[in-house]
Parts: sequence; C-alpha cells; structure tokens
Amino acid sequence: MSRVGVFVCHCGENIARTVDCEAVAEALREHPGVAVAEDYKYMCSDPGQALVKKAIEENNLTGVVIAACSPHMHEKTFRRACDQAGLNQFMCEMANVREHCSWIHEDRGEATSKAIDITRTIVEKVKHNRPLESIHIPVTKRALVIGGGIAGIQAALDIADGGHEVVLIEKEASIGGHMSQLSETFPTLDCSQCILTPRMVEAYQHPNIKLHTWSEVEKVDGYIGNFEVTIRKKARSVDEDLCNGCGDCQAACPAKRIPSEFEAGLGKRTAIYVPFPQAVPNIPVLDRVNCTLFKGRRKGLKKDACGKCKEACLKEAIDFDTEDTFVTEAVGAIVVATGFKLYDIGRDQPEGLKGYGEYGYGEVPDVIDGLQFERLASASGPTEGAILRPSDGKEPKTVVFVHCVGSRDPEKGISYCSKICCMYNAKHAMLYKHKVHDGRAIAFYMDIRAGGKGYDEFSRRAIEEDGAEYVRGRVSRIFRDGDVVKVWGYDTLSGEQVVIDADMVVLATAMRPQDGIRELAQKLSVSTDEHGFINEAHPKLRPVETNTAGVFIAGACQAPRDIPEAVAMASATGAKVLGLFSADELEREPAVAVVDENTCIGCMRCELVCPYGAIEQREICTVDGHVCGHVAYVNPGVCQGCGTCQAVCLSKSVELQTFTDEQIFSEINALCYWE
Amino acid sequence: MNELRELARTLLTDGTVRVIIGWEDARRGARPAFVTDPADADRLIFDTRCVHNLVTYLDPRRDNVAELGKIGLVVKGCDAKAIAGLLREAQLNRDDVVLIGVRCGGVLEENELPAAVPLTPENVAPRCYGCDNREPALVDHLLGEAQPEPPRPVTTIDERVAALDAKPLEERWAFWTEQFGKCVRCYACRQVCPLCVCERCVAEKTRPQWIEASAHPRGNMSWNITRALHLAGRCVDCGECERFCPVGIPLSLMNRKLQQIVGERYGYTVSDDPENAAPIGDYRLDDKQEFIK
Amino acid sequence: MSDSIDINGAAAGLFEPRITAFVCNWCTYTGADLAGTSRLHMASNVRIIRLPCTGRIDPLFIIKAFERGADGVIVSGCHPADCHYTSGNYHARRRFAVFHDIMEFIGVDPRRMTFSWVSASEGAKWRDVVNEAVTNVRALGPFAAYRALAPEGAGRAAPAGPSAAAVPASAGAKAEAS
Repeated sequence: MSRVGVFVCHCGENIARTVDCEAVAEALREHPGVAVAEDYKYMCSDPGQALVKKAIEENNLTGVVIAACSPHMHEKTFRRACDQAGLNQFMCEMANVREHCSWIHEDRGEATSKAIDITRTIVEKVKHNRPLESIHIPVTKRALVIGGGIAGIQAALDIADGGHEVVLIEKEASIGGHMSQLSETFPTLDCSQCILTPRMVEAYQHPNIKLHTWSEVEKVDGYIGNFEVTIRKKARSVDEDLCNGCGDCQAACPAKRIPSEFEAGLGKRTAIYVPFPQAVPNIPVLDRVNCTLFKGRRKGLKKDACGKCKEACLKEAIDFDTEDTFVTEAVGAIVVATGFKLYDIGRDQPEGLKGYGEYGYGEVPDVIDGLQFERLASASGPTEGAILRPSDGKEPKTVVFVHCVGSRDPEKGISYCSKICCMYNAKHAMLYKHKVHDGRAIAFYMDIRAGGKGYDEFSRRAIEEDGAEYVRGRVSRIFRDGDVVKVWGYDTLSGEQVVIDADMVVLATAMRPQDGIRELAQKLSVSTDEHGFINEAHPKLRPVETNTAGVFIAGACQAPRDIPEAVAMASATGAKVLGLFSADELEREPAVAVVDENTCIGCMRCELVCPYGAIEQREICTVDGHVCGHVAYVNPGVCQGCGTCQAVCLSKSVELQTFTDEQIFSEINALCYWE
Repeated sequence: MNELRELARTLLTDGTVRVIIGWEDARRGARPAFVTDPADADRLIFDTRCVHNLVTYLDPRRDNVAELGKIGLVVKGCDAKAIAGLLREAQLNRDDVVLIGVRCGGVLEENELPAAVPLTPENVAPRCYGCDNREPALVDHLLGEAQPEPPRPVTTIDERVAALDAKPLEERWAFWTEQFGKCVRCYACRQVCPLCVCERCVAEKTRPQWIEASAHPRGNMSWNITRALHLAGRCVDCGECERFCPVGIPLSLMNRKLQQIVGERYGYTVSDDPENAAPIGDYRLDDKQEFIK
Repeated sequence: MSDSIDINGAAAGLFEPRITAFVCNWCTYTGADLAGTSRLHMASNVRIIRLPCTGRIDPLFIIKAFERGADGVIVSGCHPADCHYTSGNYHARRRFAVFHDIMEFIGVDPRRMTFSWVSASEGAKWRDVVNEAVTNVRALGPFAAYRALAPEGAGRAAPAGPSAAAVPASAGAKAEAS
C-alpha cells in the first residue's frame, strides 16, 4: 500500500502568486495512495524540511513528493532530509511547479490545474520507485599514465605528489617526448631541455612513480577503480638494473650510420643507443632491426656477426637473447598522454590523406619540417646549433617558412588548424635571424593565430624586431633548381605571384595523433574522431575526461595543443584522478540498467548502442553447469544511466532504475484524459 | 531437385548433418519436411510452391529442433537474409547449420496446389518481383540452374504502397484502422517470422502493459505499429506474415514501406551479409533530421 | 513570439489541446527550467515527463500518450553532438525518423508530433516549440480519431481541459480513479 506524502511549497510568492498551493494540497489529499498533503511557505528551509521529516515519521510514509522548484535545484536537499528521517532517499521525487508552471503562466486557474496534474504525475511515479542503494565500487588508488612526454610527466608528478602510486609507461627508450627535441619554446624562448629535464629527473626519481620505458600497453581489462593493464616491455637487450650508463657500448658499436629518430633524420646514431645525452633513464636500447648481429641471425648465420657492445660492457648488462616480457598492473585510473606526431607529407599516405608531393619533401633534402629545424637550431643537435642546410652544410641566406602544410586543408584530408604552427614559425624565424643576421626569413601564411598569453606580442616581435617578412598567400610548388630551392607562391595582399630562390624551406606540417592511437583507443574503450584524436566527454565542460569512466586525456592526443595547455590539461587530469582516489569507494547514483536474465535472449542490441561499453555478453548455465545460452549483463560500475539500451531492447528485458517502464507508464497514465 | 536430393543423401549419410529441413510434397501442396534418414531424401522437392521460410525453425527457443542435431537447411535468397539477421543478433552460430541454397525464380502467391505450375503475372507472389538475392552468398552449397527473373505481377507492391501514399491522411487512417480492426491477435505473424524470437514478447509484458492484449482496435493499432517498428531494417520480405494472417491484413504493404524508409533515409538494404549492420542501433552524424525542429 | 500564436486560446473559447512532452533531463528539461527562470510565458497545455536522455524515449510512450487522450506530443532533447551520454540522441533520431514515417503512413497527422532539439541554454526556443505545438495541434482539433479506437464501454468523458478548470480556481480538477 502506498502512503505518499505530498508537500506543496509556496516558495514565498514565486509559486503562490500564480498557483493556489492550498488547492493543490487539497486536490492531492484526495488522490489515491496519498496519506498526507500539506503546503508551506519555504519547503527547503529548516522548518520546511522538519515538516517533511515529521510527516514521514508520523505517517509511516513510503514515498515523498515535493511540489516546488526544479529537481535540479533541490532534489539532493530533500533526498537528504528523507534519508535523515529514515526513508530511503530514492523514494523522494520533486514535482516542478515553479520553473515549469508558476513562472511561465499568468492565469491562476490554468496554473493551478497544471500544478495539480504535474504533482499527480510525480505521485504516480513515486508509487513505483524502489528503495535503491547507492552503488559502491572499490577503488585501486594507483594510476597509469600512458605517454612520457611533458603532459604525461606532469600528470604523473601531480598524482604522485598527491600521495598515490603512478605507473608511467613510454614507448620510446626515454621519456621527454617531442618537447625534448625542441631547441627553445615560445613565447619566452626558454631552452626546452633546460625546463624539461628537471621534470624528467623528478619523475624518474619520484618514490611514487614506477617508470616503464621501451614499453607499450598490450591489454586493458576492467573498469573505473578496477583496471587490470597488461604492459609489454619490449626487449631492450640491456639489463636495466645492471647498466650504469657509462656509454662504452655505444662507443664500441660499429654501426654508426643509422638515421637518428631523435635528430629527425638529420643526424646518425649507433645500433645500441640512448636517444639523446639527457635521456631518462640513461640506459640504452639495442635496435634489433639495424643491429649487425641481429641482421645476421635473421639471415640464419650460425655464428653471431658482431658482439662488440657486449664485449665492451664491464657490467655484463647486455643480453642478446632477451624477449619481450609482460607485466600486469592493477590501477584505478588511466591517463592517456600519447602526444602527437607530425604529418609526414611524402607521397606515401594512409587512407584518407593526400601528401604534398608538390612541396618536394623527401626528395629535396633542403625542404625540412618543423622538428627538423628544431634539431638544427639545437645546441646539442647534429649541427651544434648552427643553421646549416642538409644538402651541403652551407649556411642558408634565404629561408622560406610555409604555414598550414596539411592543416586547414580539407582537400588533403586535414581540416583542422594545428594551433601551434603560427607561433613556432615565428619562433623559427627569430631563431634563424638571431643566428644568421644577414639572412632573410620569409613566411607564407594564411592567418596568424597567436591567441595565448604573450603570443601576439611574440609573433609581432618576429616581424618588427627581427625583420621576418610575412607574405599572406599559399605556396604552389617547391623544387630544386640548380643550387637553390625555388618556391612559387602568391601574395594575396599585393595580388602578385612571388618566386623565391631559397636556400632552405621549412614546412609547418600538421599535428596528428600518434600511430597506433586507434588500436590503443579500442583497448581503452574510448572513441576517436575522424582524425584519430581521442574524444573528450564534453567539449566545454569535461575536456579531460572521456566517455569511459576512469580514463582521462591530456595534451595533444585530444587535439593540437601547445605546452602550457598540455601541462594545464595534465594537472587537470591529476585533479580528477586525485578526486577519484579521495575515497576508498566510489559512490554512484544507482541510475543503472539491470537486465532481466529470464527474458533476455542475448541479441546484444544493447551492447551495440551503449556509449560506455558497459554491457557484455554472459553465458548462463543450468544448475549442473551446462551452458544453455547467453544474456546481456550491465556492469553497474560503468553504466551511466542513459537508458538507450532499454529503448532498443525489443522485449524490454532491461530496466533503467529510477526511470523504469513502470514509472514512466504510470506518469503517462496519470495524465489520463480518457480511460 | 535431383541435385538437392543427392546432396541431402550425402550430407546425411556421412553425418555432416543429422537432419535436413526442406520441403516435400503433401496432399495440399508443398510443406516443410524434416528428413533424418538418407533413404528419405527423395521426399525433398523444390518448386514454385515452396514459399515457406524454413529459417523459422532455427529459433533458438525451439529445443525440439535443436535436439535433432546439426541441421542442413534449404534456403531461398529471401530466407538466407533471415539467417544473416539471426547471426547479427547472436541467435545462431554459423557452424551449427549447413545452408543449402537453391536458385529461385519466384514462388506462387496461392501455393496450395497438388502440383507446381509455372509463374505468371497473375499467380506470382508479388513480393518476388525485383528480388535482389537470386544468387545467395551466405550458403555452403548453391544448387539449381540460374532462373529467369520473377515475372512482374499485375500490380506490384510498390505500386500499391505508392497508391496509399498518394491518398490523403484521413483515407490512409481509414484504410489501416479497418485492416488492423480485423486483427484477432493470434500473433501468427509473429510466430512465423524468423526474426521474431524473443522469449517474452513485449506484447506479453504486463508490468507495465504497453500493448493491450485483447483484440480491439486500440490495442491492435499498438501491436501492429510495434511490430512494424521492430522490423524496420530487419524484415527480409519473405511474405510469411501476410500469408499466415488468417484475416488477410496486407502486411506486405507495411513491410515494403519499412524497406523504403530505411532505404531512403539510410541507404540501407537488408541483405544476407551478416556484417551489414542493421540501421536501427547504428547512426551517422549526418542522418536526416528534416522532421526535427 | 509570433503574433499568430495565441497562447490564450481559452479566452476565445477554443479547443484546448492536451500535449504530453517527453524531454531529456540534461538539455531540454534544463532549457525549460531556464524558460521559467527567465519568466518566458507560454501556453499551459504541455505536461512534461522527464527522461534521462532521448535515447530512453520509446515510441511506446507516444502511443500510450495518444491512447490516454493526448492530442499531441513533443519529443525533445540535446542537439546532435551534445548528448550528455554522447550518442543517445543519435539513436533516438533514427528511431523517431522511422516512427514518424510509419505514423504518417498509417494516417496520423505528423503535425501532432513535434520533435525538437532544445539545449539547456535555449529557454526561448523551448517557449517557441511549446507555443507552436499548441497552435498546430489546436488547429488540428482533438485527436478524436485515436480515442475512437477505444474499446466499447471504456469511453468516458475526459475531465475538462485547462480552460474549464479556470472557473473555480480553488476546486482544482479531481482525478479519475487511476
């Protein structure tokens, strides 16, 4: 038997001016299942709440309806009051007679009649409410950070400083990411490595951070608070505990002409190598693809063709027979900070993208991209900081910088703006002019996007103080002509074609997500957009969360980002993770879907439409363990309560608690105008 | 037909399947046949009277059929599409059934004849016209010679749907309320449909009772709208629902309309490719929304 | 607000349609709240039923609303790409496209069903959706055709609409047994 209490609030004059609250209470008193109906000036006030609590106790109420403002205002207030009075909080609902009634109508009769309808509807709903309990999920208070660039390092430090253990994994041999390749950063012209390496060391030495470099995510199981991540530690061939970073192995290695990834192809490295001198950890890896010994083994040689590094190693840390190993880590939250790569605009392109064959990249050695220029400008780079062109090592006197190569070009497959290029081109022009005082820096641009703090002033400096020449227009072709690199462009402001005999050309290519991002996203059950960037949960209000509870994102894996933004996002994910870890258990409203296994036939339509991957197939067995079918199962920890599963279920075998079919049916029926 | 009988004999003899479900001759026409003994393989026939969609016997709830063992099922092109539907909805393992496809040139609308007759515009089942699965791909064997296209019926289903669409709303309402008014809620349409396999149909749910159970116009309307909604993008147009309806409700018109809706809005055609995901349950960012303010 | 929309049809003695609205909690319900906070006056014929997401809204709700005497319905939620649950509204969009087309084929005037995307910041749009729906459905008249499907003997004069309740303000409209 229902015994519902109805409490009609005047809200001062806000409701009472238009709605006859006494009449509403009187009408509801007559309604079947209503045990008591009262009206009061301010229900949300202390005396108002006391009224409700007293009524609950005196009348043994089974449900409470507060006819007042929107549930978005005070549902929590009244649920807490009911809870304090001993009535399960989920037996309390609000009837919105203010925002949806008294505030939008003038006619007192109409408004009162409508308020009665609204309240009756909610009373009928409440009769079918169930006393639910909040869902509690235990939380493993460890975090996984995928990616050891500046964003990953920042997130790891913030979480570790917050007192929780972090597993930081990085697929390269060293952390640092692309920021370690930069020479100076805008808008301050800080030396990139100088500001980065202290963070790298701090992360490496932090007692709460466990670092796995030369490692990748193999598999992710579980859900928020309870992830189990399998990590593949690729075979390094060097024992991380024994190695002391002396570098003798690298000196001994005979294979010295391998293009260095860190130097963006402009420098060379050995087969056993540390990517850069400030690498963290300072432990080399052996590149088995280019190593002479491993080439021999692949050819089937009986005797190893080389072994000089092993001979040179006094710590006996080198072992050619190691294999990839797997480590399992239990974590409660995952931060994805995999960063970006630059669009390689050569002729060979993946599906959906077109290259810029007309720019000669990959064919003309003096056409380089932004990261390559950074290496030239870097004091520790292949030219020790001198700007020298790759083909003949001469100092270029005319350098052309081309903006928007790939970006903002739907024709070539990338419609977005890469955000940082206007800034780093200005920086490059400045760095070049600082080093080559009599050089010409010419930049072809479409717009100048310099919106950050100090950014516009910085980019104007390149023009006004350092004499960079900015030409508004696109470049149609770049090719080698004798000793020069010819650039054909257009100056839209003067309306004239421009031909420049450049010594070197720097292309500002688009930022794209890393290779393998889609596979990683699938492992994490997060979605990516058509470019591969990971989707945030809400573009404005939830920029560092994803649709998968417990998986957060920071930095350029979500969209083109500069360093301050990447760091800010990383700290934001740190805050989210620390919030998640602040209690031993995660408490969630029990608005989750529950499958009736008796009627479910396991067609798994629900699984298809669930935005959170909360639904899985489960086998059902007879009492003697014989598998007799399968049904759907909703993980209450992951389900966010949208109810799409219930609407697609043909047999209505799944019910979303707090919005069940019975509740909604009774609301529709309460508005019964006809039998 | 001999090809079919030979294959059936072989599959049963070497134990690949335990039962062949096909068609056989009966007093009043063709009817489904369950052949377990290779010696009975000669009972199997295939001719223009073989309208039945035998996929309905693969409903996982039919324990009596599953108990017979691995099944060899004879399917026409439309039937094969129903198999794909069951596969998409995790109601069938492909390995549990051997599919014996037969090349079909159409079936009779009135199939209860003592012997098969050739198809003419007057006697062909209208739904056969324009068949797009005459060489079913989702089969283990494909038997028979290439058949000519089914003849064009006197009035095609598309023409009848177009005629209805051309009428004003009130006339359409009058038409459908009259038709659904005849419904006796026998649920024969549901029982025979190979894709209606729910353990407890929504029409039988009582808490709450969305669809009133007794056979009166209001509940009938709710039932028939729901049936249509559930079949959008799934119905294979095998025509069995209309054939089974004891009161002659023209369900083929509704079924064809459903095909037009998903075809026009989402470019979707029901096929026998199980990878071809159903349109409801899927979405595109640019789905048509002209009806939304 | 358009001049042609008369939110006070009661005064002119016109038929007052009853409209049941199924709206999503995060966008339209909040947008309707904003309309209230902004004191945007609108027709009083609409009764809102709150759902978490348009993804949850089943065509069976609409059929039931018509069975129960609604003259029109509104279904409203978040704009595409803004769904609080990411994709609920995309599924709803397809589901209701098919439902809309089937209902039209059966002979139900599609103007009785209003589908809209109203965000949490679109209080004014909600007012316009409401007023337009009321005007359109008022022009179509009561959905007597659907009520005529009711079983023999089950018909009963409906409690009069908002205009009749205007008479004795203190009485309110008594409920039929439910």
